[in-house]
Parts: sequence; structure tokens; C-alpha cells
Amino acid sequence: MEGSIEVLKGGLALMGYGLAAIGPGIGIGIVVGNAITAMARQPEMAGTVRTTMFLGIAFTEALALIGFVLFFIA
Amino acid sequence: MFEQVILASECDVANEVICAPADVKELFELPTVFHIGELAISRTIILIFLAAFIVVALLYFGLRKGSVIPSKFQAVIESLVQFVRKDVAEDIIGPEGVKYAPYLTAMFLFLLVGNLFEITPLINFPITSRMAIPAFLAIVTYVIFVFVGFRKNGVHYLTDIIWPKAVPLALRWLVGIIELFSTFLLRPLTLAVRLFANLVAGHLMLTLLLGSGAIFIWNFADAGAKSLVGVAWFAFGIGIFLFEIVVAVLQAYIFTLLSAVYIQSSVHPEH
Repeated sequence: MEGSIEVLKGGLALMGYGLAAIGPGIGIGIVVGNAITAMARQPEMAGTVRTTMFLGIAFTEALALIGFVLFFIA
Repeated sequence: MFEQVILASECDVANEVICAPADVKELFELPTVFHIGELAISRTIILIFLAAFIVVALLYFGLRKGSVIPSKFQAVIESLVQFVRKDVAEDIIGPEGVKYAPYLTAMFLFLLVGNLFEITPLINFPITSRMAIPAFLAIVTYVIFVFVGFRKNGVHYLTDIIWPKAVPLALRWLVGIIELFSTFLLRPLTLAVRLFANLVAGHLMLTLLLGSGAIFIWNFADAGAKSLVGVAWFAFGIGIFLFEIVVAVLQAYIFTLLSAVYIQSSVHPEH
């Protein structure tokens, strides 16, 4: 029966990663959406907005990455 | 070569829908090519040296003459160097950023070449999908920003993180704990894992889609109607291939950008 426990652990880790990806997914959507709004309103600021957008994405992504790491650890 | 990379020989095209390798590690742990004494030189090591060599060669031949009216090649290399110096180092860190521009430029170009190996024909292996390289570069950035933080601000660098003056007194301890955790643990970890995870995912998708597509089309006689599935996989794989070009460039840029931001937070901690 050890094999089935291993399979169960793998499945749970996969579900955990899926759950961890929900929040950052929504968050990145908000970041990019607002960045596009900002660029549309002030095209001359597009460069600055883009840099800041990547930073925002990078910080939001951290949670998904922790989920990704835990998936391998579990 | 073909079989060594994706282990096509073990795939049963009559039954399986996707031809996956028995173990994912086969895609990332490349075989040893030759030995130097005790050292086993794998294909990854050769590619790392190749990437370093390409970067050095690009910079040397691009900037050797330094003529006022640049040749096309010189103009491309100059705009890359200028991009990191102006748009990353000076814009993010400020006037002192020029000091860190050589490090950032070298890192950016190395990661760019390393990431683009993913989609270079006949190489097809991103060296940054092995944890050693992102981890090493993240540790170097970590050492730089902690060292600069302590040298610029002395012990206030640490105390400002643990006991931030800008935050209301009741919340200070909580913000301090979060900041301490995020600055000294999560920053280097996420910096390395972000690059690593993106390239691993890209390499995995490309190998599975293009590999299984190719195998199904190759074994048209055995697979029969299923080779149509192979055509679909291959077409999807080519779509991902184009997407991976963007990912490779973007991840090199984001790694450099975040390194600059972390160094900036040590140079001007009050922001």
C-alpha cells in the first residue's frame, strides 16, 4: 500500500500548487489590467509604467513560486 | 541524438497520446561527455562555457573599435549595453547606478544567451533550467545588496528593516518580521526560482509537444490516424516556441531589473 500513499502525496502536492496559483493569477491580472489602463491614459508614461508593471508582476508572482517550490519539496 | 534526448524508442505510438519520458530528470540531467581526471564534464558545463564565451566575444568584437559612426554590429551591442546602463542601472538605482552597470550588463547578457539556448536549434537546452546558475547569480546579488546596505547605512540597515519608523507603532513588530523574512529569505529565493521555474516549464513543454509530435509523424506507419494528433501537438509546440522567445528575453530582463531594485533598496533604504 506504500505506492498508493506516494500517489496520494503527489496528487495533494499538485492540488496545493493549483491552489497557490489562484491568488497570483488574479493579482497579475489586476496589475497588468491597471498598467494597460495607465498606458492608454498616458501613453508618454508607457516606459515607466511598463517597468513598474514588471516589478509588480514579479512581486505578485512570488506566492506562486513558493507553491511551485513546495510542490517539489512535498 | 534524437532518441537520446527524448527517448523515443520506448514510446508506444499505437496506444499513448503523448510520448513522455519515463522520468522528467532525463530531460534536465544531460549525460557526461568526457572526463578530465575526476571531473565529469556534461553537456551543461560545455554550454555554460559556450554562453560565457559568446558574451565575451560579443562584447569584445562589438566594442573593440569604438568608432563614432558605428557599424551595424557595434550599434546593436552598444544599444544593449546602453539599455542596461540607462534604463536599468541609472533609472532604478540613480546616479550611483553606473557603478553596478558592469555587473548588471554581464549578468543580463549571460542570462539572455543562456535562456536563448532553449530555442536555439541543435542546442535546445536552457542552461538556466539547472538550479545552479540562477541560484549562484541570486546569491551574488544577495551578497552585493546586503554588503552595500551595511556599508552605506551601518547597523541602521538592519534596524530599519526590523523596526521601520514610518509604520504606526502598534504594527511595527509585525511589519518588521514580514520585512525581515522577505528581505533576507524570500528575495534571493524567489529571484532564483522565478528564472528557474519559467525555463523548466518552457523546456518541458517544448520537449513534450515537439518531441511527441515528431515521434507520431515519424512513425506514420504504426500510428495511422493518430499521427494527426501528432500534427496538432507539433503545431501547438511551434506556438509555444514563439512564446518562449518572449519568455527567454523577458526573464533575463526581469532578473536584471529585480537585482537592480534590490541593490537600490540598499543604497536608498528610506524609499
